Amino acid sequence: METKQISKILKAPAPHMVGDDFRVHNFFPKGYKIDMNPFFLMDYGSKIEFSARKEPRGVGVHPHRGFETVTIAYHGAVAHHDSAGNSGVIYSGDVQWMTAASGILHKEYHEEAYSLAGGPFQMIQLWVNLPAKDKMSKPKYQAIKQADMASFNLPENGGKIEIIAGNYQNIQGNASTFTPIELYNARLNKGGKADFNFSANFNTGFIVIEGNIQINNTEIVSADNFIYFKNEGTEISIKALENSVVLILSGEPINEPITQYGPFLMNTEEEINEAISDYNQGKFGYLEE
Amino acid sequence: MINQFKNYFQSKIEITDEQFDSISSTLKVKKFDKNEILQYKGDMLKYGFFVGKGLLRSYSIDTKGKEHILQFAPENWFIADRNQMHEEPSDFFIEAIETTECVIFPDNFMSEASRKVPCLLALNVNMLHNSIRFMQKRINMLLSATAEDRYLDFIKLYPSLTLRVPQWMIASYLGITPESLSRVRKELANKHFRPS
Repeated sequence: METKQISKILKAPAPHMVGDDFRVHNFFPKGYKIDMNPFFLMDYGSKIEFSARKEPRGVGVHPHRGFETVTIAYHGAVAHHDSAGNSGVIYSGDVQWMTAASGILHKEYHEEAYSLAGGPFQMIQLWVNLPAKDKMSKPKYQAIKQADMASFNLPENGGKIEIIAGNYQNIQGNASTFTPIELYNARLNKGGKADFNFSANFNTGFIVIEGNIQINNTEIVSADNFIYFKNEGTEISIKALENSVVLILSGEPINEPITQYGPFLMNTEEEINEAISDYNQGKFGYLEE
Repeated sequence: MINQFKNYFQSKIEITDEQFDSISSTLKVKKFDKNEILQYKGDMLKYGFFVGKGLLRSYSIDTKGKEHILQFAPENWFIADRNQMHEEPSDFFIEAIETTECVIFPDNFMSEASRKVPCLLALNVNMLHNSIRFMQKRINMLLSATAEDRYLDFIKLYPSLTLRVPQWMIASYLGITPESLSRVRKELANKHFRPS
């Protein structure tokens, strides 16, 4: 089996603000021009200490159509509400897989008690593209609590792999996906080792959330860095040099044209105009600010 | 950016690259930061703006400190204070809502350019008529239309601005309260939202 080599190691780009004080580093598509299709966007909120505040920080009402947002919480808590009447809280360790598909309005804020107390905050949001045939499917949620997450215990007390989506060591991840996607949180103890096998054509990248790891017995990568792999080879090994958390992404590219306008991700310009018009006419529903 | 300005003209009239070059020497390109004010009330700017990329707004502030938005200028829109043509200080502020790249043209640009390239005269007249038509419609909306009709007219004129500017700015432009705008949007959603 051939090793999947590192293409490049990418530092977190300068952060920007989303909404009121959601400070994120965009690794792609703005930060770096790398092909991570079917992952269209990755906003990384590096670990930050938020002061206590009565008025929760967050992002006000906004629409989405044509893709899925996947929010992975490491520290802090985010409350969300949508125009279909759903709401919930994403706590540290949890994952929310929201299929916006045909369209939804939502808002995301620091959860009230967390906002009042303040404390560390660290999260990732991914935009996962949908194939044309599923872009207008029914919106849905998959709220995955850490306690319920499928996981594989690594040998020699090496830690565990939480399988958010896909399949690791014959353990099926919790989230159902529209196209083949592997998404794991590797929570490794110092000295812990894990091996991965992804198809050569799958776009693959790891981001070190915490700690320090060695990849393929060569490069050492510390927290807040993204490891982008080549589309050759299949095998990747990691070893934790200290207690570490790594988010692992790999997916089969969706080979269709993409047109983006703000919060809409469609195949054509006409579909974007239709999305804007539908949004303006209230077809995404209504949600109080 | 100057090229985009040229393309704008070439989409409206037949003007060759050489003709455009002969009138473009007074044009300047400038980038403004988000929230930067390009023109203050009382200024006597001798130029106007063509938006290449980004978004500007013109507004006044009343005696109670409330802002009233006159115009939004997204890509390929012009924005300028007409007072400057009459040697009067400006009544309005112009501000960048987003980071904005503009072509800045002197206030006599169109008349000077028309002298060198006569077909620009017809375009200038046409643009002025269009601007008057727009103002007439806008005054009529503000005097007589319901909040819903004003909003429906707004999304036809500026479809993507609902995604680019905060609600209070849209309400300010429409001359309604943010609460009325929320009500209108809620009523539209009640009519059109079909949760699948």
